[in-house]
Amino acid sequence: MSGTDILALAACGLVAIGLYGVVAQAEVLRKIIAFNLLGAGVFLLFGVVARRGAAAGLAADPVPQAMVITGLVVAFAATALALVLTLRLHQITGAATVAEDPPSGAAPDPASEP
Amino acid sequence: MSLLLPLVPLVPLAMCLALAWPGARARVGGVLWAAPVPALLVALLVGQVPPLVAEAGGLRLTLLLDLPGALLLGGAAVLWGAAGLYARAYLGHQPRFAAWWLLTQSGSLGVFIAGDLGSFYLAFAVASLAGFGLVVQDGTVAAFRAGALYLLLAVLGEIALLFAFALLAVGALGDSIAIADVVPPLATSPGGHVTALLLVLGFGLKMGLVPLHVWLPVAHPAAPMPASAVLSGAIVKAGVIGLVRFLPEEGAPAGWGSALAVFGFLTAYWGVVAGLAQRNPKTVLAYSTVSQMGVIGAVIGMGIVLDIGASGLHAAFYALHHMLAKGALFLGVGVALATGRGARRWVLPLALLLALGFGGLPPTGGALAKAAVKDELGADLVALCAALSAFGSTLLMLHFVRRMMDAAAEAPDGRATPGLLGPWLGLGVAALVVPWLLLPWVGADVGKMWSLEAVAPVLLGAALAWPWRRWADRVPELPEGDVLVLARRGAAPREALGRAVLRFETMFRPWPAAGLSLLAVVLGLLAAMAG
Amino acid sequence: MTATTPGGWLLVLALTLPAGAMLLGFVAGGRHAQRIALGALAIWLAIALAVALQVQASGAPLAYVIGGWQPPLGMALRADGLAAAMLLTGAVVLLAVALFGQGAYDTPRGAAETRAAYAFWCFLPALAAALAAAFLGGDLFNLFVALEMLTFTALALACLDGKPSQFKSELRYLLFALIGSVLYLLGAGLLYGAYGTLDIALLAGRTRADAPTMVAGALMTAGLIAKMALFPLHFWLPPAHAGAPAAASALLSGLVVKGAFVLLLRLWFWVLPAPVVLGGGTVLAALGATAIVIGSVVALRQERLKLLVAYSTVAQMGYLFLMFPLLAAADADAASRAWLGGVLQAVSHALAKSAMFLAAGLIAVSLGHDRVTSLGGAARVMPITVIAFALGGLSLMGLPPSGGFTAKWLLLRASVETGQWWWSLVILTGGLLTGGYVYRIVAAALAPPAPGCVARAVPRPQELCVLALAVASMLLGVLPLYALGLVRVGAP
Repeated sequence: MSGTDILALAACGLVAIGLYGVVAQAEVLRKIIAFNLLGAGVFLLFGVVARRGAAAGLAADPVPQAMVITGLVVAFAATALALVLTLRLHQITGAATVAEDPPSGAAPDPASEP
Repeated sequence: MSLLLPLVPLVPLAMCLALAWPGARARVGGVLWAAPVPALLVALLVGQVPPLVAEAGGLRLTLLLDLPGALLLGGAAVLWGAAGLYARAYLGHQPRFAAWWLLTQSGSLGVFIAGDLGSFYLAFAVASLAGFGLVVQDGTVAAFRAGALYLLLAVLGEIALLFAFALLAVGALGDSIAIADVVPPLATSPGGHVTALLLVLGFGLKMGLVPLHVWLPVAHPAAPMPASAVLSGAIVKAGVIGLVRFLPEEGAPAGWGSALAVFGFLTAYWGVVAGLAQRNPKTVLAYSTVSQMGVIGAVIGMGIVLDIGASGLHAAFYALHHMLAKGALFLGVGVALATGRGARRWVLPLALLLALGFGGLPPTGGALAKAAVKDELGADLVALCAALSAFGSTLLMLHFVRRMMDAAAEAPDGRATPGLLGPWLGLGVAALVVPWLLLPWVGADVGKMWSLEAVAPVLLGAALAWPWRRWADRVPELPEGDVLVLARRGAAPREALGRAVLRFETMFRPWPAAGLSLLAVVLGLLAAMAG
Repeated sequence: MTATTPGGWLLVLALTLPAGAMLLGFVAGGRHAQRIALGALAIWLAIALAVALQVQASGAPLAYVIGGWQPPLGMALRADGLAAAMLLTGAVVLLAVALFGQGAYDTPRGAAETRAAYAFWCFLPALAAALAAAFLGGDLFNLFVALEMLTFTALALACLDGKPSQFKSELRYLLFALIGSVLYLLGAGLLYGAYGTLDIALLAGRTRADAPTMVAGALMTAGLIAKMALFPLHFWLPPAHAGAPAAASALLSGLVVKGAFVLLLRLWFWVLPAPVVLGGGTVLAALGATAIVIGSVVALRQERLKLLVAYSTVAQMGYLFLMFPLLAAADADAASRAWLGGVLQAVSHALAKSAMFLAAGLIAVSLGHDRVTSLGGAARVMPITVIAFALGGLSLMGLPPSGGFTAKWLLLRASVETGQWWWSLVILTGGLLTGGYVYRIVAAALAPPAPGCVARAVPRPQELCVLALAVASMLLGVLPLYALGLVRVGAP
């Protein structure tokens, strides 16, 4: 088993853990962490792809690394956004969970809308 | 000349749009009667108006005027005009009503000259759906309930037709959607029976063939008088022209002629029996329309069975008389209700004459209409069936006259205004005279209407009408829309089904369920892609 | 080999102009942000129109190779008929919503801007840029970035009012959308591993029906349909769209979900090999059919107007998936019809649904609530709004001469022609159910006002914006077919 294979397996493991987390965890914070694990798994996969040099048989393909960098930025922004929302949710409701359904007739009364 | 054709639907439409400007509202309301003038003009020019074929980017629109279309178009134009005058006096100036009126009119007149699937469907849909506004004009709860039923059935009809048209378009050779191109292959195409069934469903709903007639007796009493007149006179004829155009004698798949004839006669009798058990004169008239549309269905059906080329023309002629006479009777109910008991007997002669015309009393226009369809309904068992329906019609119409005379007046010593009387008298006279004027084009054997088998049903019906006067109040009143009662029973299961769907949908709302569905979708897609 | 075509610079402009306007508005703020956004969106509409005309006239896609670097290393912007049509739709809807938003998010002269107004005028051009990136992108990874831009902008717009009740549903939306993005990215990684490029034009025709491609296709598809809220992944859409302010709901339901739709089309009909499309298309259409039925029935039973309209979006998105098995069929004529019908459905739904959401917003403002059972009197106070809502509803129902009718007619015909008639039953049933919920609203609005009901008049310009969108959706079906030929340019 080469190093690349181990990395690939690790990527699979991270994706699996992340998927489990985002599906099963009710706490928003845990979900966000799970999302990051999932993301890490995907980025690792890109690393494996780069290592294997898919494009034009290069020894180390630089394109996936460029993608990973872009992806990291996006994931960072997403995490920040989600955390801000979670923080506001926690400040308002005292809990940070998206577990239960919003009460029936879910839309808030739009009376106060502009 | 052919450029006159688009004016038929466009003039009412333009007037409808003009209502959006507050300044033009009163003026448009004042000339509501003039909207169908181009239609009348075009109908009178029949034979000199070549079809209009407009090519618009791969889509070919056809407007054409043939003899059956011209008969119906002219009759509808006269009816819309007279009812428009009447509406002015009956309802006063109501912009909202005028808007619905003109929109419905645009579709109702357009359907008679549409020559391709697209424009036919458009006109048919506009006439059907805008009619909703006429039904709910009074704004009462009953009117809205009637409107909802009307709309539901109209949309069901639209759906059946849309499916049928899609099948027709696929079955046609080439890309043409002209009716003349898509209908002939119907008889031999493998899906022909499905298409024919959908067509009969769609047009039968509009015409009110049993058991699809339930909207007529519910919608007519709810609508204001002039609206009932055009609903019963003009809008149901969209179904007639549909059957004439889409199930011609050479295009219908085998068996559909006899099926249509059977359903037609069934409808004719059903309308009579259910109508005899009604108290409200407008409901009685609605059932009479059901019955008469049944006769027209039978005419078209027998035309297919006997392979009579002119049966479309005959059916249109019959429908023309029905348009004018039924319109006049509806307007007459309004006149009678506005007239106090003392003066009401003056309403009687014309009402009686028109009513007996439906049975075939010579020399009314109605007798002429019956004589015109003798080719289809004149032989063997069918003649007997037709005579029975004429007898029933006489009985029903005399029942109507009695109910109308008994109805409570709005004011005990009221007098109908000239605005009500004029259109009513005009339309009534037109119903008696116009069929005679048009006789040369239709070529019915006038002598036949004096024959014993034509007159006997009328006499018999008239004779039995007297005993029925006593019996009529003892039979329990049938709810308007008779078999509709059965549909109400379906309300509870429908409600349960709706709730079950809601519960099912709720299952997917929690997070874990949504997440698992996402994974399931991935696996399902993978399996399908590999499989 | 992709080469820059004449007029390719228009594509660059379509992308950079709104992005620049967003940055400029961000710095300038206040009244300036509003003016900049409105001006930029007007110019953007002109650009979109120019792109559409150019594509129509030349009959070939426009392309621009950024910096002259060829794919796979470089990036290309491409505008085929699909992109041009969606770009134009997006421009029309965005401009109408911007004009509508002038009522609620106006900053009076001399006054300090509110937070909501500032965010609204910054994020409006940002959404335009994100849409341009999603429609014009020619590379699966760039499209991923565009998708994320769309999600973030949409989220910001949805939270515009900063109402507490809104956060939870928006957070659910964000988290679910993020899972979708990661799945998409995972699939993209696998595709890159297999083929060494993510450029759509290079991948087209090169892909094989092997395991990595299929896994990648399934993952990316699932990620995209999670963002499109296809049943059973729709749970986030109704609360998120119904809770947002009217202008934002219109954009979310009308445009944002369509971004993912265009990506899905690119993935399925350019990237994935034919056998895979053939097998998987039926699953997508089956989910779409379920969405149509379930979404419509649930919409029929909603008590709140905006939730009803949101569930209608769930149902209408289902129609977009019916084209997949029809396109995969062998019959070229039928496939072409299905393509046109599917894209037309996306366009007409964008116009109609944004009109309906804006109308629902106006009704809620006027009556002070949006309970379906007590809408009485609405038609008297604001006839134009109710007419606009009804016209939008008629388009969704598929009545002539609306765009929805032409779309459904084409899909119906294609389904009959390819022998897959069962889809036509779904189309027709959906039309009936749609008629049911539209009727509920219109009949309730026509009813006389309940006692004690106070309805405020709403600004006429806002009403006219709504009406313009609804009429556009209605008249889409009157467009002669050669104008629709635009959509066929560069079709698969």
